[in-house]
Amino acid sequence: MRRRTIRLGAVAAAIALAIPVEAAPGIPMRIRVIKGSRQGPAAVDPRLADLQPQLSRLAYARWEEAGEQQVDMDFKKPVAVALPGGERLEVELLESRRDTVTIEVRVPAHRSISRLTLSKDKRLVQQVTPEKGGEAFFVTVRPWP
Amino acid sequence: MKDCARYAPMLGAREGELDAAERAGLTGHLAGCAACQARLADLSALRGMVGEALGREASRRDFTDFADQVMARVERRRAGAIRSFFRRHRVLAVGTALAPTLAAAALVVYLQLRGGGGPGIEVVSEDYAPMVIDTDEGPLILLGDRDDSEGT
Repeated sequence: MRRRTIRLGAVAAAIALAIPVEAAPGIPMRIRVIKGSRQGPAAVDPRLADLQPQLSRLAYARWEEAGEQQVDMDFKKPVAVALPGGERLEVELLESRRDTVTIEVRVPAHRSISRLTLSKDKRLVQQVTPEKGGEAFFVTVRPWP
Repeated sequence: MKDCARYAPMLGAREGELDAAERAGLTGHLAGCAACQARLADLSALRGMVGEALGREASRRDFTDFADQVMARVERRRAGAIRSFFRRHRVLAVGTALAPTLAAAALVVYLQLRGGGGPGIEVVSEDYAPMVIDTDEGPLILLGDRDDSEGT
């Protein structure tokens, strides 16, 4: 009897640990819209300094911040982000673990969906408009900023 | 009679148990003592009967699986020893039983702390051919070339 109780307890613990933690709503996210330009002297908006290592890999010389919002994201409640051209995108929190989040970014204008997992110290930089006149817009998402 | 008390115990002696003097004395006594001759005859008859009975009993037993039976008993004794070891060391027994479960639980916790099995980036676009560049700071996703295959 006692041995069976111990076994059942161990199995229950293993199952409980295997279930993803989805019970902690309100994950703080920093969502920024940034513009990259090929023209003009190379310059990075000081507000984008934390993105410099990623932005330096791209062929754009000038980087400016076009919009920012800090939100506490709840599961399955998409946050709409307006883009300067009138388009919009949606960011949705799908899952959260101890120090990672899984998000989905949807850009209806060109029917694209990206789904990825970010850890606390990482951020996403995603192009959300095609390049026009040497300029393109990007969205950047950072959990627990 | 006095000699009978001395020699009668020697009647059942086995080969080599008596020295030469005792053997000679016993032979001399037997030659002249009818009582000891009768005792010797009874003893011999008894020995013959016992030997014969033992032989019959032995031949009735089937010894073909004797070795297997002995080995089976040895194995049983060994298994019993292991069981009694675990009975005496209950904590060790419980620990041994729980070890695989604990190892699985530790693996699950480790994977959760790492963020579940890797970054896993999935990008789908109907209009473009997206490109993903994985950097130390996080992923970079570019729209890529426009996919005009349907329109052309």
